[in-house]
Amino acid sequence: MPKSWPRVSVILVTALVVLAPLALVLYQSFLNNPFFVPKVQFTLSAYDYVLNDEDFHAAFLNSLMIATGMTAIAVPLGGLLAFLMVRTDLPGRRWLEPLLLLPVFLSPVVLAFGYVVAAGPVGFLSLPAESLFGHVPWDIYSIYGLVLVAGLTHVPHVYLYASSALRGVSSDLEEAARVGGAGPWRVALDVSLPMVMPALLYSGMLVFFLGFELFGLPLVLGDPQGILVMSTYLYKLTNLLGTPSYQLMAVVVVALVFVTFPLVILQRRLLRQAGKYVTLKGKGARQTPLKLGGWKWLALAILGLWLVATVVVPLAGIGLRSVVSTWGRGVTLSDQLTLAHYRDLWQYPNLIRGVLNTLGVGVIGGALSVACYTIISLAAHRWPSGWTRLLDFLVLVPRAMPGLVAGLAILWIFLFVPGLGVLKSTMISVWIAYTVVWLAYGMRLISTALLQVGPELEEGARVAGAGPHRVNMDITIPLIRFGMLGSWLLIFMIFVREYSTGIYLLGPGTEVIGSLLVSLWGTGDIDLISALSVINVAMVGAGLLFVLRLGVRLHG
Amino acid sequence: MAELTVENLHLRLGGNEILKGVSMGLERGQVVALLGPSGSGKTTLPRAVAGLEQPYAGRITLGGKPVFDADARVDLPAERRSLGLVFQSYALWPHKTVFDNVAYGLKLRGVSREEMRERVQAALNQIGLGQHAERYPHQLSGGQQQRVALARALVYKPPVILLDEPLSNLDAKLREEARAWMRELIVTLHHSALCVTHDQVEAMAIADRILLLNAGTVEQEGSPQEMYGAPRTLFAAEFMGANNRIEGTVAEQRDGYAALAVPLPMDGRTGSRCSGAACAPTGRRAVLPRASCGWNPCAPPTAPARTGWRWTSSPACIWVNGGSTCSTAAR
Repeated sequence: MPKSWPRVSVILVTALVVLAPLALVLYQSFLNNPFFVPKVQFTLSAYDYVLNDEDFHAAFLNSLMIATGMTAIAVPLGGLLAFLMVRTDLPGRRWLEPLLLLPVFLSPVVLAFGYVVAAGPVGFLSLPAESLFGHVPWDIYSIYGLVLVAGLTHVPHVYLYASSALRGVSSDLEEAARVGGAGPWRVALDVSLPMVMPALLYSGMLVFFLGFELFGLPLVLGDPQGILVMSTYLYKLTNLLGTPSYQLMAVVVVALVFVTFPLVILQRRLLRQAGKYVTLKGKGARQTPLKLGGWKWLALAILGLWLVATVVVPLAGIGLRSVVSTWGRGVTLSDQLTLAHYRDLWQYPNLIRGVLNTLGVGVIGGALSVACYTIISLAAHRWPSGWTRLLDFLVLVPRAMPGLVAGLAILWIFLFVPGLGVLKSTMISVWIAYTVVWLAYGMRLISTALLQVGPELEEGARVAGAGPHRVNMDITIPLIRFGMLGSWLLIFMIFVREYSTGIYLLGPGTEVIGSLLVSLWGTGDIDLISALSVINVAMVGAGLLFVLRLGVRLHG
Repeated sequence: MAELTVENLHLRLGGNEILKGVSMGLERGQVVALLGPSGSGKTTLPRAVAGLEQPYAGRITLGGKPVFDADARVDLPAERRSLGLVFQSYALWPHKTVFDNVAYGLKLRGVSREEMRERVQAALNQIGLGQHAERYPHQLSGGQQQRVALARALVYKPPVILLDEPLSNLDAKLREEARAWMRELIVTLHHSALCVTHDQVEAMAIADRILLLNAGTVEQEGSPQEMYGAPRTLFAAEFMGANNRIEGTVAEQRDGYAALAVPLPMDGRTGSRCSGAACAPTGRRAVLPRASCGWNPCAPPTAPARTGWRWTSSPACIWVNGGSTCSTAAR
């Protein structure tokens, strides 16, 4: 049909951008050498090597264990916090909510560095603890420390879905149970909990999935003890054999996607069910909060403890570290206060570029990405056809590729396709990778905004004489512009925070703070790391302030 | 000449047959009401005419020009049919002022700035909102919004305007005023309108002709008088009048009339059997298709009774034109 060609071409371009990297990885995994070597041959040797590598087995088991452990921590805690925030008269809920969601927007590497300097063997917290107990009662570098940190930092993901499910359940249902003779806690157990069960199940699935994608935390916290997970195993392979062992990396990617893709599909199914019991949308706001009475102190203590452990400790650690010259045993911190680390940053042109590039990819790149997401969403908007179902599926593909993997695959595309090489060492490559990695998230933001536009507003314009393109420009886009602005801010924060996608693309001209932090970690220069981390957190914080100021919802 | 003709239109939505061969015509200067229960396809028909839903068979002609023809593979997109459409929710664009809302259709047609200003102002004056041009839709009352929606649909002089339950969001008193006002506006401007409604009183007040839809087919079509006075089916009788039914059995057939024996009604309050006359609340009459039936003590009328019904003392018989089906309603 000629009249739908703009929509079809948008979807085809999306398909190309999304599927090509994966296809290249799959192709590479069956070769005996990197694809650019002349005379490569098809072989299964790479599979043979990786699947029989004991390190790989260990990495897989570690990933599985961490994913399971963090799910077991995050789901109950996230559900509990959601209940306390949504359904009780807990004081200060209004300003606690953004704090609760903060870890979502903080870079995991920054958090990990924060834990190292605060709770590592000679951390700010460990030393006083040692003098108190005679030894440090925790070990941040163990797998248990890793599971605990990963679990705590993923509580917000559960909180997001559980709280929106709780908000959607009408008070009438609970009141009916109250009138029927059930006490408040009874109602919470018998009515409210079953209502949010699908949402909890979904978020549990999500956290489990994110556990497999984990990179920053295990890199910083697991590596010193040799604890490998899937993604760090991949990262280690990069320099394993001297020559780039692309075929082995490709096999690991295939293995990783093999695990994540079914999880993504499963998540999609669960998400459909997550809203199963949401009886009233929007109108469900009328809810009578449960009076906590004396329990509120316990509730506040739980929330406060989580906040301290997840946000305050790492952030305070990294912040403090960035303004002292040395630390450790027998050092009085007040004597060591200095701003030298920030001054030092200026001596490294690549770090300066990194800061500027990060801002650029967040502000300009974020805006361009929102534009892309909007165009793609509009291509499928109110168009029931096979093409839109294809797009639904396409969006899932990058979802299954962790940032590290997507960055690698896109780097390969730049090497593979003649003529694209020139873009490789520009920020365009990083921007494309970011846009692809966050496709599903961005599309969800935009389609949430599009859902608010009543179909008759667009139909009215059609009947008045406007063609489909005109309707988009005159009606639909002006109506979702606030949603687009909000998406831009959220994408800005996500892009500034992003660290894993840029790692393989890192080179002169493509530095971003996230990937620089990872590469600096290799050199162990904690002075620069802490200063850069603080700058990164400050950028995200600025974005968050805008978000709160403009009243953008942090979740759909 | 018919401004709009629809011939044998078939439409499917999500696997359900919504329109099963609907045909209708709309003359210039006429208001046709589409009446029917929910699910009858009464909203879908004008949407198909506007090009917002796609039928799979049939023909739609606007001013003699086919805009949809399944056989000839003609399907003009909505924007090229040049119709006016007023939505139940009014669908005023919230980001545009009243002026811009009304002016949009003119802007799309490349009307010059001055002419646009003049025509929009004239349209707004016509609906009594000349002072409110710079307001936004949310600053207007429901009645005012409804009028802006009408002005927006009329301003570029479409040959046919389609109204989808335009009054259902107004309160009862406002609705009666708007009904008269709207009909007057449409008729004096020589527009032609197709108006969807689920309210038979509204349909009779606003329309020159009524099209009664039932489950995707046209049940009956005619003037309000015909629809009310001579419903051809039980469905039409019940839909046009109040839902009181007297059931009876055919006792006798003679000269094209049938005599119905009707059991004496029960008095709802006392539970005792009573005479028909006593049972009928004051001021209520038994209503049958007026021109065709008689209400007589078991004697066929020499000519079909024209008006009125008399409650008679027992035994009650009802004469119905044309045989054994009897549709009666008491009102």
